[in-house]
Amino acid sequence: MRRLNWSTYAQALLMPLAAILLGLLVGAIAIWTVGGSVLTTYQEMWKGAFGSFYFTTSTLTRAVPIIFAALGVSLAFRAGFFNLGAEGQMIFGALAAALAALYVPGPGVVKMLAAIVAGMLAGGLWSTLAGWLDTKFRMNLLITTLLLNYIASLFAGYLVAFPLKEKGGSGGAQTAMLDKSVWMPKLFDGMTLHAGFIVAIVIAVLLALFLRYTTKGYEIRMLGSNPLFAAYGGVNRGRLMLMSMMMSGALAGLAGTFEVLGTQYRYIDNMLSTPGYAWSGIMATLLAGSNPIGSVAAAILLAALQTGGMGVERNTEVPLEISSVIQSSLILFVSARITFSFIKRKKARAADGHSA
Amino acid sequence: MLLQMKGITKRYGSLTANSGVDFSLEAGEVHALVGENGAGKSTLMRILYGEEQPSEGRIYMNGTEQSFSSPSDAIAAGIGMVHQHFMLFPSFTVAENIVIGREPKAGVTFDRKAAAEQVKALSEKYGMPVDPWAKVAECPVGVQQRIEILKVLNQGAKIVIMDEPTGALTPLEVEWLLKAIKRLSEQGISFILISHKLHEVLDSSERITVLRDGRVTGTVRAKDTDALQLSSLMVGRELVKLEKKHMVPGQPILDVQQVTVRGGKGAKPLLDQVSFQVRAGEIVGVAGVSGNGQSELLQAVTGLRRIDVGKVALSGQDVTGRSPFQFREAGLAHIPEDRYMWGSAKEESVTDNGLMGHLRSFSKGGILRKSQIRQTMADWVRSFNIKTGSLDTKAGHLSGGNMQKLIVAREMAHGTPFVIAAEPTRGVDIGAMETIHEALLKRREEQGAILLVSSELTEILKLSDRILVLFEGRIAGELTAEEATEEQISILMAGGEQR
Repeated sequence: MRRLNWSTYAQALLMPLAAILLGLLVGAIAIWTVGGSVLTTYQEMWKGAFGSFYFTTSTLTRAVPIIFAALGVSLAFRAGFFNLGAEGQMIFGALAAALAALYVPGPGVVKMLAAIVAGMLAGGLWSTLAGWLDTKFRMNLLITTLLLNYIASLFAGYLVAFPLKEKGGSGGAQTAMLDKSVWMPKLFDGMTLHAGFIVAIVIAVLLALFLRYTTKGYEIRMLGSNPLFAAYGGVNRGRLMLMSMMMSGALAGLAGTFEVLGTQYRYIDNMLSTPGYAWSGIMATLLAGSNPIGSVAAAILLAALQTGGMGVERNTEVPLEISSVIQSSLILFVSARITFSFIKRKKARAADGHSA
Repeated sequence: MLLQMKGITKRYGSLTANSGVDFSLEAGEVHALVGENGAGKSTLMRILYGEEQPSEGRIYMNGTEQSFSSPSDAIAAGIGMVHQHFMLFPSFTVAENIVIGREPKAGVTFDRKAAAEQVKALSEKYGMPVDPWAKVAECPVGVQQRIEILKVLNQGAKIVIMDEPTGALTPLEVEWLLKAIKRLSEQGISFILISHKLHEVLDSSERITVLRDGRVTGTVRAKDTDALQLSSLMVGRELVKLEKKHMVPGQPILDVQQVTVRGGKGAKPLLDQVSFQVRAGEIVGVAGVSGNGQSELLQAVTGLRRIDVGKVALSGQDVTGRSPFQFREAGLAHIPEDRYMWGSAKEESVTDNGLMGHLRSFSKGGILRKSQIRQTMADWVRSFNIKTGSLDTKAGHLSGGNMQKLIVAREMAHGTPFVIAAEPTRGVDIGAMETIHEALLKRREEQGAILLVSSELTEILKLSDRILVLFEGRIAGELTAEEATEEQISILMAGGEQR
């Protein structure tokens, strides 16, 4: 077994901690600029996020899709691919899950499983499409994954506004409500937190084990760390890329699936893009340096900043945007390192045209 | 005394990189610093150049104590460093690279003309010809090094530290460099040469300081010593002379036929109808000035590059156009020419780096067998004497020589009939070189076929049974070990005719 090396762990934690402190500092300046009291605002933020059992579980509920998205993105990152398409993958995952839950016949459990499988498949295939465009036509993954988001979002919007719109509903662009039998069970009575949270934690642990203890996980890590080394050692980049993009998209698809099964019970247009779950997920991954377990912690932190921000908005004069300022500055301070390693990888790729 | 370093000690946690090191340099002296990898040469020079702070000890220049908290302090005090890997901007001109940081200005704009004149004057003063207007990317390696030296001289350096200066140079360039160093030292510039190559050090320097395990084991005058004494000071024991047994080559293992790799549009082919065989129980050496098709040849016979024409067969199996994985399956092990670009992932652990290519034997049902892996890695670390903190140390923290030993251990463990050894001992110390050469000769005795590509002629001559010389992508000549001499190979390498 790997012996714990505390100094390296401390170092790995130092960067995100410093980023959080700097982010809070910038936030303090922003609060001060709009004329709020820094101390009261941060107090309200804490209360809004973790002030009571209700608020704590709400924060965790909000963290669920962020965790799934973050896990998906971190898997792709570990293999060396920037998957910016979590949003589109999440949207198709959610829509497919809603449709499966609505139209697959059978008892609730069957519908639920069908919804989960459909959600993973839809997200995974959408992401694999971007990977395929890269291996086949050398289209830049950053661009394809990003642009496929718009296609997914607008197409899903069209579907629920017209052909799949709920019959005789309130008029919003949304599907019909799911049958109660496919609703994710709540973990506590009267709280929003649902079983998807447990699944997210289990998958995070599984992903960490997968990366560390399996041959495929090993190949993914080496490919991400030095693509030329992987090619030299006989790792098939194209196949591994499709596989990791598939898994990455499937995890993002699960984010959408559990939002549908656990909180909204239907697909509603913009239910995933307005709260920006996918982007929070990408941020969480960056904060955690693509470590699955760290991504969970970072996702909960970001969710807390958001629910805390809402608390601030409810109880003080300080606007909601302040928590976005803090989030953004967090990423700004972390991104310095990311950009650097990304540039190094691009250089390695440019050094050899054939295998990379 | 121009420079004195007294009692320098540097500790990194529990590791002591330098321990009570004394080093001195007189004006106009060439002082070589030799020692195995990890002996503490680089640490000592990083301390002098202000990149590291000593844990103990003092630095004096002309008798006054100095403290360098950054390279800019060291540069201001007249110390310049030419790194092993050049720090130049390839798309900029020679003059732009030399005046960087202290550009002549016309008002607020960069005065390129003045820069070029300044560089011209500088190059004439020191007898180091360069074309100020040429793009660095178009300059050969030897000239790029000249540019680096001029850059530090332009910064006002009185002491020039050169890290492995001859590693990437051709024999002619080496000769020129050593002469240039001599000339500059007569003009009062002092040099510190970090090197592995004892004969060059003996030729070019006045004094030689030997480091072992962070301590000085001797400072000797070059004219009072020889390579044998130096190497025993470095290694701390007598070196064994390698025996090359007589072998009768068997079946062809690698068969390369008419392989051609085209260059860009209108350019010459990178490999031009290359044909040769490597048979069981023989080492075939490939010599050549770097950039004459060696890299392309290596990539072609490992599946890392597609060939345009020709056939490659491995152990009787046609592997033309196959993937690197299929080449390995057919029986290939490969010590790559660039250990960091191809041979390792610096950010990953020693264990992960050792595992590459061995997944099948170290996994069951897709799950890695961690304890078996760790046991094997521990064996390699022991048998190849790899100096590493632990098996979880990042590979990037190993010294170059230890990284190379890990790669050799990994590739030899495949036990394949065919081994490619590309620059197997580049930048590696004498002890490690001995280990690696021994491993290659042992494989030869076990009926292995070995393709050795090296820019070190001594290495080629020492190990090979046959020698191929590459020039401009073609095999310019083939020599047997008995008939080959360094001179003959040099002529072929330069495009001369075989006599």
